[in-house]
Amino acid sequence: MNDVSELGIAEAAELVRGGKLSPLTLTAALLERIDRLDKRFHAFIRVTPEPALAAAREAERDIGAGNWRGPLHGIPFALKDIIDWAGLPTTAHSKLLIDNIASSDAHVSARLKAAGGIMLGKLATHEFAIGGPSFDLPWPPAINPWGGNHFPGGSSSGSGVALACGMVPAALGTDTGGSVRNPASMCSIVGMKPTYGRVSRRGVLPLAYSLDHVGPMTRTVRDNALLLQVIAGHDRADPGSAEVDIEDFSAELDGGVRGLSIGLVRHFYTEDMTADPEQSAALDRAAELLGELGAEVREIRLAPLEDYATCTRIIIRCEAFAIHRRWLAERADDYGELARQRILDGAAVSAADYIDALRLRARLTRQTLQAFAGIDVALTASNMDPACRIDDAEACARLYPRQARQPFNVTGQPALAMPAGFNRDGLPLSLQLIGHPFQEARVYRVAAAYERATDWSRRRPPDLAIRAG
Amino acid sequence: MEQETSSDDLNRIATAAGLPRLSDRQLAQLGKSLASARELAGKLPKDLHWSEELALTFRLPAAGEAP
Repeated sequence: MNDVSELGIAEAAELVRGGKLSPLTLTAALLERIDRLDKRFHAFIRVTPEPALAAAREAERDIGAGNWRGPLHGIPFALKDIIDWAGLPTTAHSKLLIDNIASSDAHVSARLKAAGGIMLGKLATHEFAIGGPSFDLPWPPAINPWGGNHFPGGSSSGSGVALACGMVPAALGTDTGGSVRNPASMCSIVGMKPTYGRVSRRGVLPLAYSLDHVGPMTRTVRDNALLLQVIAGHDRADPGSAEVDIEDFSAELDGGVRGLSIGLVRHFYTEDMTADPEQSAALDRAAELLGELGAEVREIRLAPLEDYATCTRIIIRCEAFAIHRRWLAERADDYGELARQRILDGAAVSAADYIDALRLRARLTRQTLQAFAGIDVALTASNMDPACRIDDAEACARLYPRQARQPFNVTGQPALAMPAGFNRDGLPLSLQLIGHPFQEARVYRVAAAYERATDWSRRRPPDLAIRAG
Repeated sequence: MEQETSSDDLNRIATAAGLPRLSDRQLAQLGKSLASARELAGKLPKDLHWSEELALTFRLPAAGEAP
């Protein structure tokens, strides 16, 4: 094998289990790749080579002794830097928390550790998962490897960039208004926001309690299902954690879409917003392709995008302000401009408007779930546009609200973003698949069928020479 | 035409929100927040009936479980 940075979780796990790839070799190769590429792309806030190599040696010993724990054993990963890993700082990419050493693992970190995963480091984010891309923070923002100097999406920007650069085969992000799916869309990788309550948020810095999700980010659909399998599960210490059975998220991956009913939410990207023509065409082509593969595809209508956006924006503002107001009172100067503005926004919302946004949420959720009756999965846009240049603050500000991800933070349904092609400039296009609550396996089934029928997930940023290692 | 909030009013609002020490620049940010909040409030539906209650979910502790 010439280049291990190309390997996903499933491929690497098979080789590791069979003794054909050493976790130490894999870890060392990825650390070398990070060292070489991250000066340019800034995916990592902190790389942890020594503990990673020690964990890799231990995994190698365990597996050699016949104690293989599962597909994550000996496989490197990295964490968005709002997720606690005991002994390391959780900075949220902010001056405020530059010395905030985590005293224990987040629930998801403990799961990954128990599965034998190898932690390579902490990844860049927008400040507190809300203020970015910003150039006035202690670390620079992550840069998209697709394009010259482009925005990678956010707030889980480092996670998207590290995957697209082949620095890791697995990463975790968080998604409050689309922050797993946005970088997945802009970096041409796969990002899943699972059902609200599916994955514990204990030990993860909150942005807005009632909308926050932790989600897996990978380069393929199969890898995404494997990573979700490790981190999903009830946690009594997370008040939002759902006490539901854990299905086998990979069970339907090879099932194809024949016989499935797919609802196309076309009005999101043709009426409520007008998507970039190449993005819109990619979505229509994806719907056609799923039809050709045997699915019954029909249009469905949900509430207008603006209703979901109003609801989400009010809730995020208020809940974020409630979390930050003491820091804001004492250390307002230590925030970057963007995060301070977005958090201050919550100080200006009335209690009555917040309550009405919550009541609107209940209405929208009810209406959305009714519209899903009779379909298995819905298809719509994630982003309306490809990435813009990261140094164009106005373009970044214009781009961010042009998306269709917030509806499923409002309803809590599982929603996955994945590659759907490239525009004429070589920038990624994307699509979003949405399922019924706690039916992630069905979403993965449709995503896997689409992925098999296209080659988007196999393409790599052109000037990275990923295969050359 | 949106009326600009005076600096005295911004100071009062900031203090009421628990932020008595914001700089002038930060108060200007709060001014933008107020304008944006008014715009968002205008987009909330006008037909929410009082009977559309919040979907609060309470979980009672199981037998033997600490509340």
